[in-house]
Amino acid sequence: MTGKAARNIFIGGTLVSALIFLWMTYDFHRQEPRLAKTEMIDEHVVAGKKVWHKYNCNDCHTILGFGGYYAPDMTKAYFRLGESNIASIVMHPETVYRNSFRKMPHLGVSETEVKDLTAFLRWVGNIENRKWPPQDEKYVKAFRLREVSAQKLEKVDIVMGACGGCHSFENQGRNIAGDFSAIAARITYDKETLAKFILDPQSVHPGIGMPPQQVSRETAELIADFILSLKVGKEVRK
Amino acid sequence: MIRYESQRVAYPYMALSLILFCLQVVMGLWLAINYGFTLSQGLVDTFSFATARPIHTNLLVAWLLLGFMGGAYFILPLECERELYSTKIAWIQFGLFVGAAVVAVIGFLFGWTQGKPLLEIPVPLDFVIVVAALLFVANVAITIIKAKVRSALQWMLLGGVTFLAVLYLFGIPFYRDLNADYYYWWWVIHLWVEGAWEVVTASIVAFIIMEVTGVERKVVEKWLYAETGLFLFTGIIGTGHHYYWLGAPDYWLWWGGIFSALEPLPIALMVIDTWMHVRERKNPIINPLIWTYIVGLAIYHFVGAGVWGFIHTLPQINYYTHGSQVTVSHGHMAFFGAYVLLNLTIYYFAFPRFRNIRKYNDRLGKWGFWTMSISMFFLSLVFGVAGILQTYLERLLDIGYSTAHLNMMFWFRIALGIGIVFLGGVVITVWHLFTLKPVEEGAAE
Ligand code: HEC
Ligand code: HEC
Ligand SMILES: [Fe+2]
Repeated sequence: MTGKAARNIFIGGTLVSALIFLWMTYDFHRQEPRLAKTEMIDEHVVAGKKVWHKYNCNDCHTILGFGGYYAPDMTKAYFRLGESNIASIVMHPETVYRNSFRKMPHLGVSETEVKDLTAFLRWVGNIENRKWPPQDEKYVKAFRLREVSAQKLEKVDIVMGACGGCHSFENQGRNIAGDFSAIAARITYDKETLAKFILDPQSVHPGIGMPPQQVSRETAELIADFILSLKVGKEVRK
Repeated sequence: MIRYESQRVAYPYMALSLILFCLQVVMGLWLAINYGFTLSQGLVDTFSFATARPIHTNLLVAWLLLGFMGGAYFILPLECERELYSTKIAWIQFGLFVGAAVVAVIGFLFGWTQGKPLLEIPVPLDFVIVVAALLFVANVAITIIKAKVRSALQWMLLGGVTFLAVLYLFGIPFYRDLNADYYYWWWVIHLWVEGAWEVVTASIVAFIIMEVTGVERKVVEKWLYAETGLFLFTGIIGTGHHYYWLGAPDYWLWWGGIFSALEPLPIALMVIDTWMHVRERKNPIINPLIWTYIVGLAIYHFVGAGVWGFIHTLPQINYYTHGSQVTVSHGHMAFFGAYVLLNLTIYYFAFPRFRNIRKYNDRLGKWGFWTMSISMFFLSLVFGVAGILQTYLERLLDIGYSTAHLNMMFWFRIALGIGIVFLGGVVITVWHLFTLKPVEEGAAE
């Protein structure tokens, strides 16, 4: 190979690759509205993105898999937690994670900021990214189907999809506020009261640290059934 | 043995960068503590992981860039057979760059950030850095243009640093759309480390190999063209290996997967040509340590960037390993193998010349090299174990974040231990470089 041939290979290779890459970049923007649901991006989403940057959440939490690996991925957090849980975690992490092995800082995020942040996370959850991260797909499904066709879902997925951000059950979810088996053994509520507790914890158990859960009355009853069935199971086993 | 007085301007760049290197590693140990132990809420509220991580990574980028710039200033006069166009510009640029870095780190402590991972430096400081980069590129360009001799290497170096500077611009704007944000984020991160930086590295390595081994320029430059050509051919489209899960069209799985599978080729070429040139050397081996560094760089570069990267970027595997500690494992191995060793090779080339030492006592330097190289290998392995554990527990067994991370804590304590050994290696190396001592040579030479 002569020096000249080597140089031509260099120039040719670089140009070909760069041109293909630029064309694909053009195509990426052409398909962006469909893949990234850009019509959903309103001022709240943009403001929420700015909040996300302002507090540097991304150096602890990954989003779309990018960023710090210190804390849970945020791509589908909206589906995993819902609005009011996100708000109470982001505004009072020191209470929610009091007993956790790893703490999130109290950042002083304001109420409007949290609203925008949730709008942002809701939009991010809707980006068509080939169902990544794999472990959250069941929560996305549970969130979308539990109100309209709950019979299509596993009961466990409904419960963990709604409550798994703070409660655990058989290795799933996160044990910050108690495992459901233990809670079931402890509580004395009937189905009616438990459903009421889920929708408005303060009205049943004033002072408790759990935020109201944004599920429908039917879903709340279904979850209450599930938790109480754990209790029965225990007694029967005994 | 400085042939051109202006080469000396490279010294502050290199000296400062070594200090930053030490600080970077210290901050890394702190990050391992964050992972390995439960810290109190009060501590997390005042100095969180999100503050420490950008200091760790920005110090890395700062010291590597300082090394590249210092290295370029050191070899350019030799390559152009004339003084640098302006040492004054080099000093101003140094001041701006360092000023921006210091303000950035202090800013991080007070929460002043752009909030994008790795590119946390706020926009006003970005502009200071852009000015510094422009001064640097201009200084290099004018020196080359005014030179009487022409070489491929000069242009390659200029092309590499210009490409590097231009790419930085894509990280500055605010993007409304998160997936477009990350699309261009990779133009900085990926096209730097798997594009522009490789070109700069290949040029500097080519020069040092030529000087040290005495192999003919014609041969070295031919290899340089082939390698950089392949780097850019595979690396540019290879950016696609970051686009699998961010909401980009499906064909990226193919293009990204295939082109990044080819990315190890140019690095393999570098291993081969380094090996051949070392074997066919025309010069005697005066300081064995720099030969160790040259060969070590080639091999480690191949293992860290090439092999580790190859395994991790196949879409089927990446679906599980993306966004996990496996990335951390690859990152440490690749940055150390490709760029840390490159900078240290440059320094072992330049420092004896600054001091006018022909042959130096290299006992400590050898200890430094082997301590760092071996401990970094094990550190990456431990991160890899943590990452595979995380992937397995969270994504295959579906056990959830807390259980996975509680199991990983053990491995981060081990990482902390290995990190302390690594820091030892770094301190030995830096100490050795700053205190090089000549040895008497036999009369025969
Ligand atoms: C210093 C690191 C850090 C920063 C900065 C941080 N977090 Fe967190 N965050 C954590 C940790 C750690 C957890 C999980 C704690 C646990 O489960 O024990 C967490 C949990 C969460 C959760 C619950 C996740 C889940 O799946 O249950 C949400 C939502 C969240 N953070 C949002 C945010 C937002 C929004 C920001 C920025 C405003 C932010 N975090 C900044 C560390 C951080
Ligand atoms: C943001 C976190 C969070 C989420 C999400 C959450 N909880 Fe709770 N939950 C708590 C906290 C905090 C407590 C109080 C724990 C304690 O004091 O030991 C609690 C306690 C409970 C208790 C015990 C009540 C009592 O009086 O002792 C039940 C039952 C319960 N939660 C059910 C649910 C159900 C069902 C869901 C899902 C629909 C849910 N939780 C979602 C935080 C949460
Ligand atoms: Fe890459």
